[in-house]
Amino acid sequence: MNISLNWLATHLDLGGKSVKEIDDLLTFAGVEVEGVKTKGITSEKIVVARIMEAVPHPNAERLQVTQVDAGEGGLRQIVCGARNYQVGDKVPCALPGAELAGGFVIGEAVMRKVESRGMLCSATELGLPPDVDGLLILPQDAVIGQPVREMFDSDVMLELEVTPNRPDLLSHRGMARELAALLKTPLRAMDVPSVSSSCAAPSVIALDAPAACPLYTAVRISGVTIMDSPAWLKQRLESIGLRPINNIVDVTNFVLHELGQPLHAFDAAKLSGGIVVRHAKEGESFLALDESAHSLIADDLVIADASGAALALAGVMGGLHSGVTPATTDILLESAYFTPQGIRRTSRRTALSSDSSYRFERGVDPSGVLTASALAVKLILATAGGTVRETTQVAGTAPVLTRPVALDAHKLDRLMGGSISLAAAEEILTRLGLTKRADGMWDVPSCREDLQRHIDLVEEVARVHGLANVPSRFRGSFVPASPIDGAYDADMVLRRRLAALGLYECQTIKLIADTQLGDALPLRPLLEGDVIRVKLPLSEDHAVMRPSLVPGLVASAARNIRHQAKSLRFFEMGRVFRHAGGGKARDQESETLAVLLSGCAAPAGWNQQDRAADLHDLKGLIAALVPGKSVRFSPRDRAGFALGCDVKADDQNLGVFARLLPARERELDFTAPVFVAELDLTKLRKLLAGTGHVADLPQFPGSSRDAAMDLPASLPNAEIENVLDKCAEPLLIAYECFDVFTDPTGQKLPADRKSVAYRFHYRAADRTLKAEEVDAAHQKVLAALQQKLGVKFR
Amino acid sequence: MNESIEAIQTEALAQITAARDERALEDARVAVLGKKGSLTRVSAGIKDVPQEDKAAVGQLLNAARTAITAALEAKQLALRDLADRAALAGIDVTLPARDLPCGALHPLTLIRDESIGILRRMGFALAEGPEIEDEFHCFDALNTPADHPARNEKDTFYFDSGKLLRTHTSSVQIRTMESQAPPVRIIAPGSAYRRDEIDATHLSAFNQLEGLYVDADVSLPDLKGTLEYFLHELFGTNTAVRFRPHFFPFTEPSFEIDVQLQLKGQPPRWIEVAGCGMVDPAVFDAINRSRKDHAYDPEKVTGFAFGMGLDRLAMIRWGIKDIRLLIENDVRFLRQFA
Repeated sequence: MNISLNWLATHLDLGGKSVKEIDDLLTFAGVEVEGVKTKGITSEKIVVARIMEAVPHPNAERLQVTQVDAGEGGLRQIVCGARNYQVGDKVPCALPGAELAGGFVIGEAVMRKVESRGMLCSATELGLPPDVDGLLILPQDAVIGQPVREMFDSDVMLELEVTPNRPDLLSHRGMARELAALLKTPLRAMDVPSVSSSCAAPSVIALDAPAACPLYTAVRISGVTIMDSPAWLKQRLESIGLRPINNIVDVTNFVLHELGQPLHAFDAAKLSGGIVVRHAKEGESFLALDESAHSLIADDLVIADASGAALALAGVMGGLHSGVTPATTDILLESAYFTPQGIRRTSRRTALSSDSSYRFERGVDPSGVLTASALAVKLILATAGGTVRETTQVAGTAPVLTRPVALDAHKLDRLMGGSISLAAAEEILTRLGLTKRADGMWDVPSCREDLQRHIDLVEEVARVHGLANVPSRFRGSFVPASPIDGAYDADMVLRRRLAALGLYECQTIKLIADTQLGDALPLRPLLEGDVIRVKLPLSEDHAVMRPSLVPGLVASAARNIRHQAKSLRFFEMGRVFRHAGGGKARDQESETLAVLLSGCAAPAGWNQQDRAADLHDLKGLIAALVPGKSVRFSPRDRAGFALGCDVKADDQNLGVFARLLPARERELDFTAPVFVAELDLTKLRKLLAGTGHVADLPQFPGSSRDAAMDLPASLPNAEIENVLDKCAEPLLIAYECFDVFTDPTGQKLPADRKSVAYRFHYRAADRTLKAEEVDAAHQKVLAALQQKLGVKFR
Repeated sequence: MNESIEAIQTEALAQITAARDERALEDARVAVLGKKGSLTRVSAGIKDVPQEDKAAVGQLLNAARTAITAALEAKQLALRDLADRAALAGIDVTLPARDLPCGALHPLTLIRDESIGILRRMGFALAEGPEIEDEFHCFDALNTPADHPARNEKDTFYFDSGKLLRTHTSSVQIRTMESQAPPVRIIAPGSAYRRDEIDATHLSAFNQLEGLYVDADVSLPDLKGTLEYFLHELFGTNTAVRFRPHFFPFTEPSFEIDVQLQLKGQPPRWIEVAGCGMVDPAVFDAINRSRKDHAYDPEKVTGFAFGMGLDRLAMIRWGIKDIRLLIENDVRFLRQFA
C-alpha cells in the first residue's frame, strides 16, 4: 500500500520528522517499508539564502567564494562553481546535514584551502526538473531562511507492507491513527458532516444474504456533472501512484485511501428499481469492469437490481455496464460491509482483485461505513455538483466484531521478562485507542478486530515497547539427543567420507519430470500406481515427487557435460517419495544416498594416463563407505538399465547399482559410461554404528600360497568367492584376486577361457603354522574349487 | 705364511678400492672372506703352523681380517652414499602435482551444519516430520484460518489424496509436540515447498531450519537471547541484530529478524534472516485436542518458535546472486566449497 506523507500530514503533525525517522517508526511498529519514492525537495535544511558577496577563489580559477545570508544572523561562507548568479540573488542553500536528491548528505568542507560551510544548489541537485545551467535562482520575494521545499511541490511516497492482521492501517487515516499513538501526538479532527439516514424499505434495498452482507447503505445524488477532478484531488491520487479518472470515481478512490472504506458509484439511470444484495445463481454470467467475463457460483455475492441483472460483484468489482460514464447525471453511491471470507473466496476464484476486495477480505471497520459515505457525498457535491434529495438508505446493521479483553498483569510481566511496568503497558494500550473499563477489562476500538484475546493485547504492548527494550536471557532446559541427532551425525560422516573420496555433493529439486522417471533407480522397482504426482504442477518439469535420487544426479551430470566437465563424481542424500505395492501403502518417505560416477577417474597428467571410471571404482567407493564389510554386487536385472545389480554388504541388501543404457548415455551426450548406485541410508547408518570391542592382534605369522586357475571366461568371480566362503577351512583367513587374464585372440589362452590368480592367506591364532600344515590346508581349498567349479590349476 | 697373509691383505684392499658398485664389492668380499676365499683358506692352514708360531700368525690373520672388514664397510658406505646421491640428483620438484580427485560438500550442507552445530551446542535436539503433510499439521494446528491464502491450490502443491507438500517446517513443531511432552527444545532442518515460479530469488522447493522451545516460563527474553546468540555465532559477535514486529498466525507476538551486514561492494544494510515469535496459545490448544490431554496448558507453558531460510543464509554467507546455483550442481560452482 502506498502512503503520501503530505496526505498523511493532513491528519497529524509529523513534527518535522525525517523520512528516515518515519521509516524506522513504521518498521518497529510492524509495518515494513518496502520503498521510498521522493518527489521534489524533502530536506528541511535546504533554505532560501541571499548571496551577499562573491570573490574569485584564491587557488582555483573556476571557483568563487561567496558569503551568503541564510537567515542565521551572520554570513555563511560557501565555495561555489556556478556563474549564472549576481550578488543579491536568492538561491537554495543546503546547510550541513541536508540530504540532496541522490541521498548525498552535505557537510562542511575545505576546498583548496578555503572553508566551505554548505552548498548552493542547482535545480537538478534538488531533484527538481532541470532548469538553467547553474544555480536555481529563486524569486526575490522568497523569505530568507525558509525551507525551499515549501516553495515547490514536494512529497514522499512510502510503499508499505501491512500485515494481514492490520487492515485498519490500509488508509491514510488509519496509518495516521497508528503514528499518532506512537508519536504521542493528537490526530487532527476530520470535517465530515453528520449523516441523516433512514432504514431502507425492502423495495429500496433487499438484503437477501445478511451473513455475507450484514450492512448495506446507498445514497442517490442527482444532477451531477462528470468531469475532471480539481487539481487537489488529482494531486492526492497521483501522490500514491493512482491515475485520476473523473470526479466521481476519483472521490470514491480518495475516500477509500483516506478512510479505508471501499465505495462504489452506480449510474442510477442504469438501475431498474431497488438494490438487491443476493448470492449469485449457479452459472450466472458477469462481465466485469475490466471486461473479463465470469461464470459465477452460488457462493459469490452480487449487487443486482429489481430486473435481476448483476450490476457488481459485491466488494470485488463493478460491472462493465453499470458504472459511471461521462453521460451520467444521477448516481447511487454504495457503502457497505461485506464479510471477509466470502470476498476472499470470490476474489481468489475469479482471479479478480481490486483495492476494494483487498480491504474487504482483510476486514473493514463496520462502524465507518456511514462516515465514508458522508465524506464521499460531501466531496461529490463539491466537485460534481448535484443534490441529495433523500436521506441515506440503510439496510441491516453494523456487526459488532470486537469485545472487551482482559490484560493479565502477571502473564504480561512473565512474558516481557519484567521489562515493562503495568502502568506503562496500560499507557500503550490507551494510546492505541483502547479504554479500560470499570471492571478492569479493555474496550477495543471497532477498527481493531484483531484484538480478541489477552495475548493480542500483549502483542500490542511488546510491539510498541520494542524488543530492543527487552533484556536478553541465555538459558534453557537440558534435553536428551534424539534418534534424529544420531542419524544426522551418521549422515555427516558419510558426506565427509564421500567428499574426501573426491565426490561433489549435489542438491536437486525433489519434484521431477515424468520423463525423468526412466532414470529412477529406487531400491524396489516401481509398480503401476507407485508414483506420487502433484495435482497442479508448476510445469511438466516438476510434476512428480522423486522416487529415487538418480534422475536428479543424471540431470546434473548431463548439465555438467554440456559445460565440458570431464570428471563426473556426484552424490546426493535425501528423501525419496513413493507409494508401495502398486499404490497400496501411501506416501512413503525414506532416505537414500545416490552416487554417480562417469568419465575421468584419474585425469591424464605428465606422469599418468587418463582413466575412465568403471564399475569397480563405484564398487570400491561403496566399500570405502563401510570399511571392514565385504561389499558385493549380485546381478539382478533392472528395467531401463544395464548391468543392474543388488549391492550387498556382508550379505545384507544395501541398495542397487546399474549403468545407464548406452542409448540413454548417447541421448544425454555422455561420452563415457555412467554408473549409478542408490543405497538405503537407514541401513548404511546402522553399518556405521562403529567399532565394538577391538580384536586382538595376531600373535603368530601367517603364510600365503598363490594359485592360477584356468576357468571358462563366462564364469562369474562370485562363484569362486561362494566356494571359498563355504569351504570351511579354518586356517584360511583371507584371499584376494590379483590377476585376471584373457586373450581374445586365443593365442596364449583359448578365447573362451580365462586365467584367474588368487592369493590365499593362512594363519592359526595359537601357533606358527608348519609348511606342511599350510600345504594341507591349501590343498583342501584347491580341491573344493576343483570339485565345485571344475577348475584346472596352471 | 706371513708373506702370503700380507699379500692377500694387499690384494684384497686393492680389489675393494677398485670396486665400482656393491656387486663388485661383494665379489671382493667373497674372494677373500667367503667359504673358499683366500683368507679363509689361509686361516684353515693355521692348524699346520707350529705351536710356538701360532699366536703370531693368529694375530696377523686377525689384523688382516679386521683391516679387510673395515675397508669393506667403509667402501660400502661410500658406494651407498654415491648411489643415494645419484638417485636424488636430477629430480625436478617443480613439475606439476599429480591430479587427485577432490570433492566438496554442498554449500547448503555447510551452512546447515554450521547452524545446527551452534544450536545443538545451545542444547537443541534434532527433530523431523514428513514433507507430504496433511492440512491439520501444516495449517489447522498452526492457527491458520481456513481461507488463508497459503492454503490455495495456486500457492501450495496439493495431491489428489488431499495431502499437500508442507509449506514450512513449522509442521514439525506440531508433530513433535504431539508425541513429546514439555520441555521441548528442538530444531528441524528440512525442505518446504511453495508454488513459486523458479527464478533468481525463488525456488519451488527450498530449505528451512525450524526451532521450538516450550517449557514453563519461556519468555521474550529467552527468544531474544537465543536468537541473538545464534546470529552472533553465525555472522560474528559484532553483528547488529534487530527484531521487527511482524505477523504469523502461529506466533504472537511475532517478529522478523534482520542482521546488519556489509556485502561486498555495498554499504551496510539490514538483511532479513529469520522469523520468530512466542507460540500462540491457539497452537497449544490444538495440540492438547490432538493429544487428548493438557500437557500443553497455555496457563502453564509458554514457548517460542523460529524459522529461517537456509538457502537465503547460504546466499548471504557466500554472496550467491542466483538461488538456482544451489540446485544446478555445476562443478565450477561446487568446486569453490572444497
